[in-house]
Amino acid sequence: MAIINISNLVYTYPGASKPSIDGLSLTVEKGEFVLITGPSGCGKTSLCRTFNGLIPHFYHGELSGQIIVAEQDIISKQTFDMAKHVGLVFQNPENQLFALSVEKDVAFGLENLGMNREEMRKRVDWALNLADIYNLRERSPHEVSGGQQQRVAIAAVLAMQPEIIVLDEPTSFLDPLSAERIFEVIYKLNQEQGITVILVEHRLDLTAKYANHLVVMDKGKICFEGNPRNLLCNEEISHIGVGIPKATLLYKKLKTAGFNVNQQTPLSSDELADQLLKALKT
Amino acid sequence: MSVFDGLKFRKVSSPIHNLDPRIKFIYVIAIFISAILFSQILPLAILFLMQLPFVFLAGVQKQWVKSLRGAAFLATFIFVINIVTKFFYNNWTIQFSDIEIALSMTMRFVVLVESFSVFFLTTSPDYLGLALEQSRMPYEFAFAFTTAVRFVPVLAEEAQTIMDAQKARGLELEKGNLLKRIRNYIPILVPLIVSAIRRSLELAEAMESRAWGAVKKRTNLYLLKLHKGDYILISITAIILITTLYLRFFVTIPSITYYINLISNFFS
Repeated sequence: MAIINISNLVYTYPGASKPSIDGLSLTVEKGEFVLITGPSGCGKTSLCRTFNGLIPHFYHGELSGQIIVAEQDIISKQTFDMAKHVGLVFQNPENQLFALSVEKDVAFGLENLGMNREEMRKRVDWALNLADIYNLRERSPHEVSGGQQQRVAIAAVLAMQPEIIVLDEPTSFLDPLSAERIFEVIYKLNQEQGITVILVEHRLDLTAKYANHLVVMDKGKICFEGNPRNLLCNEEISHIGVGIPKATLLYKKLKTAGFNVNQQTPLSSDELADQLLKALKT
Repeated sequence: MSVFDGLKFRKVSSPIHNLDPRIKFIYVIAIFISAILFSQILPLAILFLMQLPFVFLAGVQKQWVKSLRGAAFLATFIFVINIVTKFFYNNWTIQFSDIEIALSMTMRFVVLVESFSVFFLTTSPDYLGLALEQSRMPYEFAFAFTTAVRFVPVLAEEAQTIMDAQKARGLELEKGNLLKRIRNYIPILVPLIVSAIRRSLELAEAMESRAWGAVKKRTNLYLLKLHKGDYILISITAIILITTLYLRFFVTIPSITYYINLISNFFS
């Protein structure tokens, strides 16, 4: 069942001369892990903003086409109605936390929804535990590290128990190790809670292995879409400016050189290492 | 940035820190009213001494002394102005009672500063925001307050980064006369304000995404509840107010000058 259905979306920011999203159609199934990538300025962030109605309600501008998310028509719903269905995590962790303690921040959305205190307490603790930051709950968001801040932001949207979590380059301010931890948390949510994940990321090296639906965007359109294993073999994709995982690149080179690694395309160095070991032993 | 150190909040637990900020505020107001009502040195000195147990219970002696030291300049100023005006007024003579009045005016000021500093030293901004939220203040104001506190260290850090960046490009901050120095800070302020505006837009976006404004009556994770200590403080406050009013309107408070005259009369 499709949880997101976008058809023929064209959107122009107020004051902009050409559209940021130009005739885009996308269908996302429930429970998928979608990875969106593409060069800077290709409309990834704008697309993320449409999922919960920030576009067009917060940014205004001109919009045509249809967006159905979690059976709601975005155009007729307010952003706060969508907040229960779609959680958005932004690039800069610092600018999405406003309270003086981690716990209070996680509760912020629930407070806005007017939830009663006992229920809220349970949900906050649940979300803190899922994001593995329960021990930080009384700290100030300013005191904790960037990676922890981003996990607070994830817990904050989790607490609202959305069906979809959208993360717009959540790790661009983080070091690789913290980034990896964030991705693991997201993957766990996708696998164990069945939450549909939409992740915008440049670093395919770290993320391609989690995804089962890869979307490559350029100039406000989707140019390639499909299973990452099939897609990343494609020769054309590297011309757009997509950072293809090193393991995949090596695999392709080995294959063109006639080396027999006749299996599925590897997306991480672990997978490639396994394949190579097998091939070398036989 | 040492200027902002004072605004950083630390989680401290003490019988005074744990008191309900609303009750503490009422207490401070009661002390304030008492200090205004009395103009004699004796009751003002007693009011001053009464704050000491709070300071020691909260364990904030160091910061408290610091805040008093900050007020010392103004206190001296008040004292001198009082003496000088009396001096001119009484045809270039000064009496002991004038000094006493000048002293009590100074004491009054010190009591006001002291009680407010105890309040702010022992109330975390977190708690203060919560008190604002739960005293029927529109939530937007309380939110603006806590967010402002939350972003002080962030902006301070950013100001430092911008300063370093501009210095690296040859900006000399500590050069020239006062006017020049103030003008030197323009290249710091402009980027700082621009980035603060950009930050606020991102913040608004994040708030929208987390259901800001979904229901009219929003709930709160924490609830301020009155505990035993709060009831004790309410009683203390009531006693102070009643005693003040009684003493002020039904009892003539002897001044020190009166005693001095008494003693000198006795010996002569």
